[in-house]
Amino acid sequence: MIKIEDLNAGIDGHQILKGINLEVKTGEVHAIMGPNGSGKSTLASVIAGNEDYEVGSGKIDFEGTDLLDLLPEERAYKGVFLSFQYPVEIPGISVSNFIKTSINEMRKANGLDPIPTPKLLKMMREKMELLNIKKGYLSRNMNDGFSGGEKKRNEIFQMAILEPKLAILDETDSGLDIDTLRIVANGVNKLKSKDNATIIITHYQRLLDYIVPDFVHVLYDGTIIKSGNKELAYELEEKGYDWISKEG
Amino acid sequence: MSLFDNIKSYSEKVNLSTTKRKDLHSFFKNGFPTTKDEEWKYTSLKKIVADDFSIEENKDIVSEIDFEKYSLGFENKIVFVNGTLISSPIIKGILISDFTDFKTENKDVVCDINSSLATKGFSISVTQNTIFKNPIEILFLTNTKNDNFSQYRNQIIIGNNSKIKFVEKMRNLSKTKCFVNHFTQITLGKNSNCEYNKIQTNRKNSILIDNLNIFQDSDSTCNINTFIFGGCFIRNNLNFEQNGLNSESNMNGISVLDNNQFADNHTFIDHKVANCRSNEMYKGIYMGNSKGVFNGKIMVRPDAQKIDAFQSNNNLLLSDNSTIDSKPQLEIYADDVKCSHGCTIGQLSEDAMFYMRSRGIAEKEAKAVLSYAFASEAIEKTTIPKVRLLAQKLLTQKLNVDLDFNI
Repeated sequence: MIKIEDLNAGIDGHQILKGINLEVKTGEVHAIMGPNGSGKSTLASVIAGNEDYEVGSGKIDFEGTDLLDLLPEERAYKGVFLSFQYPVEIPGISVSNFIKTSINEMRKANGLDPIPTPKLLKMMREKMELLNIKKGYLSRNMNDGFSGGEKKRNEIFQMAILEPKLAILDETDSGLDIDTLRIVANGVNKLKSKDNATIIITHYQRLLDYIVPDFVHVLYDGTIIKSGNKELAYELEEKGYDWISKEG
Repeated sequence: MSLFDNIKSYSEKVNLSTTKRKDLHSFFKNGFPTTKDEEWKYTSLKKIVADDFSIEENKDIVSEIDFEKYSLGFENKIVFVNGTLISSPIIKGILISDFTDFKTENKDVVCDINSSLATKGFSISVTQNTIFKNPIEILFLTNTKNDNFSQYRNQIIIGNNSKIKFVEKMRNLSKTKCFVNHFTQITLGKNSNCEYNKIQTNRKNSILIDNLNIFQDSDSTCNINTFIFGGCFIRNNLNFEQNGLNSESNMNGISVLDNNQFADNHTFIDHKVANCRSNEMYKGIYMGNSKGVFNGKIMVRPDAQKIDAFQSNNNLLLSDNSTIDSKPQLEIYADDVKCSHGCTIGQLSEDAMFYMRSRGIAEKEAKAVLSYAFASEAIEKTTIPKVRLLAQKLLTQKLNVDLDFNI
């Protein structure tokens, strides 16, 4: 589905990603782990198209198109979704209004008519149930005054509505208490199918107890220095990143 | 001829009383206000008043106009065409009539010109204990052959315990320039309530100076909502005077300007007595070469204790060439009061833009959503759903997007 080749990127002239290679196939779940500052969030931002980052060289092939040639919204139309580490607060626009605009703009770009409001509301209610979201949530302002956990849940809620092909979860577990983590993970698992793929970016192995990855990659100083299966995550948890950096 | 000369020759032609003639002395001596005048520091009339506006009204094209076409669609309508009252509703407890003169103490020469020379406008008197839920629409249409200077002088007197709502709109139908010097005075009786919505969406050849003076008796509430989307030049002077205990004054406004549009909101709230409140929220979105001015003055007189006054002015500059001059002025002479003001000038958050674009909302639409989010707080101040919807529609039109914010 997505094939990243020799990706180099940075910000303000400072190189962060130093030749990333990664392939994620349809139906797979990949976890990217690594210490602070290793480039995990940069990788997520570059895939989603954040223009703050300068891409030096490389390619991100997504089902035959180089994502690097596309605007952020065009990547979204293709089915790329980023669950933000720090979701942005937008006072003045309700969750329902935001989601309605998002889904209809996506549909418009893909040549579809706007979704009828009753249908959309029904869909939103179903997804709210899936994520154990309380009533009254839809009329709250987008992330405005939300707790850390609510913001993350709101990200997964949008993902559930938009049904992306590739979901990148950037530190979705950080700031979540154990109950919310379980609910969010359960939601992600239910949305998983043989037609989509997930990249989970995380510090800790904790989330991977709930969302079991097919592959685990260790990102260190802008390079993937080790890849393996889920056992690698346990090993990392036990021995720390020092172990692997020494080994690498 | 300049407008000054035209006004001078017009005033000599019409039969003015000695008082009215006296009212014009200051104008004849000093002319229109200039940017040297503190209250007009950021707002220049120079170019406007150099134009040749005719003051004679031409009534010949009045009958041709289908005013329904320009109406906002409310059932009860007061309609003026070139200053002639052509339609007014009959409502129990509300007396609506054509121009009736009244005296005022004027703050500037523009008001002097109005009080001396205006002969058009409405007079509304609401009997006490009248609660009228349906908004009354007031429509001023102009259709003239020459560039035209027109003046309206309106008065609304609201009796004790009465409640009423208005929506006002002006429309210039002709290709010629139209300069309106508008003056309205609202007097609220005890425990009365008035909401007045101004829809300022006139065409690009329209110039407006609007004076709205409000006098409030005890326990009264007055809400003024100003929606500026159109026009070439707008100056709104909104003055509140609280004369009765426990009264509340609310003023909210939105300006969404582009091209070379100019809009100035000048507000003044005079807290003369104790236990009163005022809330003020003005938001501006500026594009192109547009320019905005906000001047908000809050006065708390020595005896006006326990006053709660809040003012905010937030501005979004969406282009490099747009400007805003914002000036809060607080004069507080009482010691037991709560007054606060805040002013912000900013651009759209880049983080928010990326967030929205990653959700498939393209740049132009994302700008519109964020602008709407910025303005919605002020839009929602009107209690009239039709006005709210209209404001949303005008906002999206102005930002050139096809979005609907209702679900």
